Amino acid sequence: MRKIFSITIAVALMAFAVPLKKKTKVYLIGDSTMCDYESSRAPLTGWGMPFKVFFDSTVQIDNRARGGRSTRTFLSENRWQPIADSLQEGDYVLMQFGHNDEAKEEKYKDRYTPVVDYTSNLIKFIGETRAKKAIPVLITPVSRIRFANGVAQETHKEYTAAVHEIAKQYKTPLIDLDKKSRDLMQAMGPEYATLLFMQLEPGEHPAYPDGQKDNTHFNEYGARRIAELVLKGLKENGVELAERIVKPVKK
Amino acid sequence: MIKFSCWALLFLSAFTAPPKKTKVWLIGDSTIAAKEVKAYPETGWGMPFANFFDSTIAVENRAKNGRSTSSFRKEGLWQPVIDNLAEGDYVLIQFGHNDEVKTKATYTTEKEFTENLVRYVNESKSRKAIPVLLTPVARRKFDSTGHVQGTHDAYSKLVRGVAKRLAVPLIDLDLKSQALLQRMGPEASTYLFNHLLAGDHPNYPEGKIDDTHFNELGARKMAQIVLAEIKALKLELATHIYQPQVKK
Repeated sequence: MRKIFSITIAVALMAFAVPLKKKTKVYLIGDSTMCDYESSRAPLTGWGMPFKVFFDSTVQIDNRARGGRSTRTFLSENRWQPIADSLQEGDYVLMQFGHNDEAKEEKYKDRYTPVVDYTSNLIKFIGETRAKKAIPVLITPVSRIRFANGVAQETHKEYTAAVHEIAKQYKTPLIDLDKKSRDLMQAMGPEYATLLFMQLEPGEHPAYPDGQKDNTHFNEYGARRIAELVLKGLKENGVELAERIVKPVKK
Repeated sequence: MIKFSCWALLFLSAFTAPPKKTKVWLIGDSTIAAKEVKAYPETGWGMPFANFFDSTIAVENRAKNGRSTSSFRKEGLWQPVIDNLAEGDYVLIQFGHNDEVKTKATYTTEKEFTENLVRYVNESKSRKAIPVLLTPVARRKFDSTGHVQGTHDAYSKLVRGVAKRLAVPLIDLDLKSQALLQRMGPEASTYLFNHLLAGDHPNYPEGKIDDTHFNELGARKMAQIVLAEIKALKLELATHIYQPQVKK
């Protein structure tokens, strides 16, 4: 009797001892350079896709990035509020916008966001993330490929500067992906840095019969290299998330 | 009466099963095989290849790391393929990496390698499936003057011989992939392989220099070569290559 009682107690206690700790969620918010794609569009790949396998089982990546979105349209389409609502203490929000905010051409007026609004929108994301005791991480927009005389050129100057300013003012972790990706392209050089992008000869890949010459969007290789740079940036910032990077399986 | 027709229709429709997919079976080694997440970014060319066809085709990637023509059969990996082969299916056969290395347990003499290939071909044909032979995809090896070096010369030659003798479609992947490596040169060709610096990727904290296994880019480039050759051979399979619906 006493034994059964003890066992019952033990089982009851165990139920409480089981850590109620849920997985830490890492929300990715941003644009086409980060988002998930259907396999029918392969090799087109957002860096959020390879990024998912970089963490151990205590972390869950939720890639909410969407092609064509600026900070403004991400908000106006009600893509932010559901994230803000579900954020828990210790979660992360990695934000990378700029490509569509900065698009001044008439055909992109639906997404264009002046720097001043871009800044206030990012500050809103930061404030509402912190209100939930979650951790905002600012990421400057990943570079496009543009070389002049063999030198990789800045392609997001104004908006990247704004992100730096906000990070400084609000003391958030900052990953300067614009610079890191440009350095990667510089190291590969003008001829081979194209290997990172959606550049295909006609007939090379069935999904793009006419070929592709895209200086903004990454292929599977480029997306992984960019995801590696973001991971490096997390480590450099010393965020706790960097302690939960997946450990290699011993052979 | 109407009721009867409805029943008849229902009855008949039970027999008009959805059209059976043509299967493309891939048999071979680690250079084709699907990888576990823990091995990423190492990628076998069968992985991107699976995306290249329309909905009438199913790619069955049965290739396995470390297998030779001998061990693939010995371990019972071929039996389920032959058991499920249907008329009109394809069997893409690419071995050599593990056959040709004398120090490996999977070592297969040139004579055995030839006999094994002949058996895979004949057994495929006996099921009215279409075997396609591939020479082993190139390793990254350059001489001091920047010229690509063959690393499978003897075994690739045997594959070509079997293809000719048995009138089997041949994809000379060794030759074609060496040509790609030569075009890119000793330095840039590293972008195709699983070359990582320490700290680049969590799966390889110490880094990696692998001149045999591909990363995502190399695997896709090899898969694209195989696809181009399928077109050049005018195999019926080439009429089932994926076509995008909307122009992007």
